Order: sequence, then structure tokens, then C-alpha cells
Amino acid sequence: MKRREFLKGIAIGGIALNIRPRVFPQGKEYPDLALIKGDFPEQLTREAVTSLGGMQRFISKGDVVMVKANIGWDRTPKQAACTNPDVIKTLVQLCFEAGAKEVKVMDNPCNPARRTYVRSGIAAAAKKAGAKVSFPNPHRLKKMALNGEWLKQWEVYTDFVETDKIINAPIAKTHSLSRLTMGMKNWLGALGGSRNQLHQKLDYAMVDLSAFFKPCLTVLDGYRILIRNGPQGGRISDVKLHKTVVAGTDYVAVDAVGTTFFGIKPEEMLFLQLAVKRGLGNLNLEKLRIEKRTL
Amino acid sequence: MKKERSKKYKFILYIRILSQIVFFVLFFHLILSTRFPGEDYIGNVEIFFHFDPLLALATILASRMIFLSFVYAAITIVVTFFMGRIVCGWVCPLGSIHQFFSFLFKKSKLLQPKEIKENHTTWKYILLIFILAGSLFTLNLVGIFDPFSFLYRSFTAGFLPALSYSISSFIGVLYKINLSSLGDSLVQFFESIDLNAIFLQGFFIGIIFIIIVLLNISQERFWCRYVCPLGAFLGLISRGNIFKLKIDNEKCIKCGLCTIHCPTQANPFPDTEWKSSECIYCYTCSSICPTGAIGFPVKLTPESIETIDLSRRKVILTSILGVLAAPFFRISQSTRRASEKLIRPPGALPEEKFLQKCVKCSECMKVCPTNALQPALSEAGPEGIWTPVLVPKIGYCEYYCSLCSQVCPTGAIQELTVEKKIQVKIGTAWINKSRCIPWVFGDSCIVCEEHCPVSPKAIKLVKTEVKLPDGTIKTPLTPFIDTSECTGCGICENKCPVVDEPAVYVTSVGETRSEKNKLLLDISQPV
Repeated sequence: MKRREFLKGIAIGGIALNIRPRVFPQGKEYPDLALIKGDFPEQLTREAVTSLGGMQRFISKGDVVMVKANIGWDRTPKQAACTNPDVIKTLVQLCFEAGAKEVKVMDNPCNPARRTYVRSGIAAAAKKAGAKVSFPNPHRLKKMALNGEWLKQWEVYTDFVETDKIINAPIAKTHSLSRLTMGMKNWLGALGGSRNQLHQKLDYAMVDLSAFFKPCLTVLDGYRILIRNGPQGGRISDVKLHKTVVAGTDYVAVDAVGTTFFGIKPEEMLFLQLAVKRGLGNLNLEKLRIEKRTL
Repeated sequence: MKKERSKKYKFILYIRILSQIVFFVLFFHLILSTRFPGEDYIGNVEIFFHFDPLLALATILASRMIFLSFVYAAITIVVTFFMGRIVCGWVCPLGSIHQFFSFLFKKSKLLQPKEIKENHTTWKYILLIFILAGSLFTLNLVGIFDPFSFLYRSFTAGFLPALSYSISSFIGVLYKINLSSLGDSLVQFFESIDLNAIFLQGFFIGIIFIIIVLLNISQERFWCRYVCPLGAFLGLISRGNIFKLKIDNEKCIKCGLCTIHCPTQANPFPDTEWKSSECIYCYTCSSICPTGAIGFPVKLTPESIETIDLSRRKVILTSILGVLAAPFFRISQSTRRASEKLIRPPGALPEEKFLQKCVKCSECMKVCPTNALQPALSEAGPEGIWTPVLVPKIGYCEYYCSLCSQVCPTGAIQELTVEKKIQVKIGTAWINKSRCIPWVFGDSCIVCEEHCPVSPKAIKLVKTEVKLPDGTIKTPLTPFIDTSECTGCGICENKCPVVDEPAVYVTSVGETRSEKNKLLLDISQPV
């Protein structure tokens, strides 16, 4: 009987601790998403993060931050296959301004890292802002329990796990399997192993991975978007100058806004439907508070 | 007696060692620099080869094409004409390796120099004549024996990959014993020098190199003495050498040390029988002479070729052998019908011309950012051994990269700008429907299409009805090749999730360089 009482006590205590009043920093509510349009990617990024309450809302003093860029392809910024280097640079700057101790930028690319890091312009831009940029190091791969619905375990670069905060910074592109690749698909770049086998159930993998990595902030680069021949394009005519950056804490909502860049309704996307069903986020754009601004 | 050794020549000897170190470091530095430099164009990392007159002569003879970069070889010729085989003793990095190991073997008493009565130094001249006679009949074998090619290939495909493997294992151990920060910095360092780690012939190329080095146990500088055709070539042209060995007969005690320790059997004693074409001006004899009797004063009389023990009979016999070699090497069908596996780097000349020019140096294999270029074994027939072949299972041709064409020292791979390179087709991809995941299981995959670098893509996805073993029908996106867009880069084969025998594969058919290895007859094109 004593043990039962003890357990009961714990249960009640736990509930009591959980229903403490929610504290809003500075007593103000932030929008769910910030959608900023304008001419300069740096400015767009800075403004989007500021609209959400500034980087200090997400990053604490002394944090080690990982910015997961898309550095997947041996393409230049104008070909819009990798995240815009100015977006990455600004995110790194913002993290340092918020007091981050260390900011890392990394991706496991499809073409050799030594080419994609250079030709995407991301390595140089991030280093200039003070970030630590390193190639994926196979010795740092570890088989991890992802506990997803489909993906139970996989090899993950520990750099993406052994960090205080993680910011997802994808680019919006077409993809012939998931239709679009944005934030949720970006997590494939944190994996090692035979990633190409995940394509057999790609949308499920994307949802399981998103649930695992839990970014504190997602910043979607929609400055140049790839409207054809994704995910690596090639010709300049595959690229559309969209001049938009979206930021938000709800990564499902960020991707949902991203689909509208391509004239697609979020409800049509399988991975978004699956994510909503799992309770990972919201895709109903009408119910979201979106701060839209043009600079 | 010891005190009477020549200080002057001891000093020159040290200068010579310094020069060898400098050139070796330079050579090694250039090997390590032969990698993606962070931009589209790489500097003159192949410059060593352009100073090689034998490579120049054999390649120009075999291909009947002048290659302007070889003008530097003229410098070597002039230097050798007036100063003898100083390049062998002071510059050649392979010579330095042999000298270094001979030194080690002597110190460890594995090698005990003694006077050699019989003279086999002629073998290298015979090899040289054989190579040049072959070249005259378009058979280019110089790359197998040329010291620069030999060393470069041994380092690229043998030594460095083995080093890379051991470093990688060592780093793995560091991570296991929780020294990961040390591991991280080591990984970063070795990432920066960017070594290709997989070479199909690496084991054999490495073993040959080790054997050649171990041969120094039997004779000091075995290779330079008996084998090196470049040494032979330089020996032949060193006719005007101005520094000639002279023994001061009043000082000489006829101890014979100089001849015993001469690393190339140039026979310093007596000086009347000194073979200038064998001498590499290492100054061993003059610095070990216990009485300082040996000197190299300037003497301006030209040297006669008689110092080389080459009978007319040997010359003629070897030439005939070289001439006979050409047809012998071409019994294979490789010159008649293109091999499907023979995917050459972009910019490679048509096969016949390519074989005449390629010197098997491995520059292209070292620079390839995906490790795709591999030394051939039998794909290109016997004369094409160790020429570069793209093996998509190991690596693929990076779309915006033309580095291999830039570093080729002989123009066997024509230099291409990146803009030109992306228009070159090196082969064509094919789908093996009986192994492809969508075609067999009806599941989605699209990995090949996703990686296809051309725009519009050469792999098209089409919804197709696929029958499964139980009779049910699925309609997955299945890949189809648009052969007119395909460049044959092989990334599809490389990334295909069917690991053992990929369901999409590249063969050489359709390659731009060949007129015969074509798919469809296109007679509408103006000639």
C-alpha cells in the first residue's frame, strides 16, 4: 500500500508542476511565422528572426549552435540548389549577437563536400561570420535510435545531436519524389549510411527525422527557389527569383508556407499530412498568425 | 690519412644531398597539390613531366604530334649535354629515393658494396632503344619505365592510398579511446590534403615499387644503374660534359674505394676508364677518397660515345625487337572494337591517339575529386595498362570539373574549360529493369534521377504499370534514360541503392571522342 501511495504522490506532484502558468517573455505574443519579402537575403533573414522576437528568444548565452544548411550539391548560389550563403552568414551573425559560444555549419552533401562547401559559397560566408565549418567526418557517425514510426534507427552525425541548439536553414526546391524539399527533407543531410534507401518511403522518413531533430528555429530560404529539375537544377532558367525568407518555430508550418511558393496547396503534400497527423505542427495557413512584410 | 679527405668535395656532396631533398619535396608537394584547388582551374602541377626529354621524345614519336609544353625538356637536354647526368644525381626524385634506401641498406649492412667485374649497365640502353623503336611504330611504352611516371604512379595508386588507409585506421583508434579532439584535428588535416584511397591496381603498383626499392639491397641504385631508360637517354646525350673526373696519380694509393662505392658503376678508377655516361655527379668518389686524389676539373674536349658498351649488333637486335613489339601488343581486339567498360576521362583523344600519348603517370587519377579514375588492367589491351578508366562503382565524373584534362602532361586528355567539358559525352547510362527497385518491386526510388546533373535531366521518370510476382499491378515512377541528354558521368550508377551490381550502369557507347562507338546513325549532320 505504501508504494501505491508513493506513486500517487509523484503523479499528483508531477501534474501540479506542469500546470504552472505559462510565462511569455516580455509579456508579448509572437507571430507563428514571419514571411519577409525584399531585395537582400541578409536583410530578409535578420528581419524574419527579429519579427519572431529576435535570436535571443531561441539562443541562450553560451550555447553551442548548429546551423543545418543545405550544402548538398556542386552548384553556385545562382543555381539555387543550396541554401543562400547570405542567409547562412546572417544566421551565424545573429547567433553570435545573441551570445552563442560557438556556431557550427555542416551538411552531408551528395557531391563531394570539398566541392559543394566551396562552390555553394556557404563555407566562406559562414567562416567569415565566425562559424566553425567542417566536413562530415565518418568517424563521428553513430547509429542512433530515432524511434520513428517507420525509421527506428539510423546512422546520424553526432554533430547534429551533441549541440545545445539546432537551427534548420533549408532552401525551397522541387523534388521528384516528395514533390518539394524544404525543412523537413533537409534532415537527410544529417545522416550517413545508405541514405538512398530512405527514398523507398521518403515522406515517412522525413516526418520521423523531423520529429527526432527538433530544431528551435527553421529559416526557409526562398530568395531563389528551384522550380524545375530539382533538387539540383542546373540552368539559370530552372530558378525563380522569389525574394522571400520565412522563419518560424513550427517547422511544419514553415514548409506549409513554402509549398505556396510553387503554387501548391499544403494539404496536397503527403509529408505535411503525415506530420500533422503525428501532431508535429500545423499546416492550416489560415489559422496561423503570419507576419507578412515587404522591405 | 683520414685528414686528407677533400673538404671541398664533402661540401659539394652535402649541397647535392640538399638539392635532392629540395627537388624531392617539390615533387611530393606537387603530387599533394594535384587535387581540387577550390576553384575551377589548377596550376601547372604536372610541370616535372615537361622537363623529361624521354617522355617528350617517345610521346611525340608515337603520336606524331608536337606538344608545346615539352619545350622545357630542351633545358634538361642542354644541361645534360654540358654537365652530364647531373639531373640523375641532383634532381631526379626517384633517384633520390634509391640513393636514400641504398644508404639505409648500407648502414644496416644489408648492402655491402663490392667491385663488380661484369657490366650490365647496358641493359638500360637496350630498354631505351626498345622503347624508342616501339614509339617509332606508334607503341608508347615509355610510361611504364619512365622514372617520373613510375614514381608518380607508385605514389598516387600505391603509397598514398596505403598511407591514407593506415591513417584512417589510426584515427579510428583515437576515437575509440576517446581522444576525439585529436582525431578531429587529424581528420581535418588529412581532409585538407585530400587523398584518393581506392585504386584497383594499387596493390600491384605498390608491390612493384617496393620490389624496385628492395633491389637496392643487391646493388646501390639498382634502378638507375640497370633499368632507367631516362638515365640511359641522358647518358647518351651527355657528350659535351665539361667537368671530367681526374685522379691525381701522385696522391692516389690505388685502394679502389671510389670504384667500389660508385653508385652507378661509372668506374672512377683508373680515370682513363671512367664512364662519363654512367656518372651522375654525386661526388661520392671524390669525397670518400682517403687521399683527396679525385677531382672534377673543367676540360673542354667533347666525349666520345665509345664509353657506352653498346655494340652495333645489340642496337640492331633491340630495335628489331621494339619494332616487332608493336604488332605483338595489338593482337587484342581492343583496337578494333570499343570495350564497354572502357570509359575514358572527358577530353580523352580517340582511343588510338590516346594510347599513343598517355604515359600512365596517374596525374588524372590523383586529381579526380571522386576517385573515379582508375588504372586499367586489361580493359584497354596490353599497351593500355595503367591508363585511366572511369569506374562508376568507385566514383563518377563530377559535372563542373575538368581537372583531369588540365593536369594531363602529354595532352592525351585534351585540356578543356568547364564550359567545354560539360558538352563532352564519355558514355551512356542504361537501366537494368530486372534489378531496378521501381521496376521490380513497384516501390519508389528516383535516386538516379535526383543525382543526374544535367538540365533537363537525362533520366526521366514515367509512371509505369509494373507487374509484381503475385500478379498485382503497381504504378511507380520508373526511370527512363534520355540518351541524347546523358553525358555518361556515372553518378547514377555510383549512387544507385542496388549496391552490388547497380540497376543503372554506364557503358562507353556514344562517347564524343569516338567515331565508331556510336548509338544511332546521324547522317543529317553535316560532315
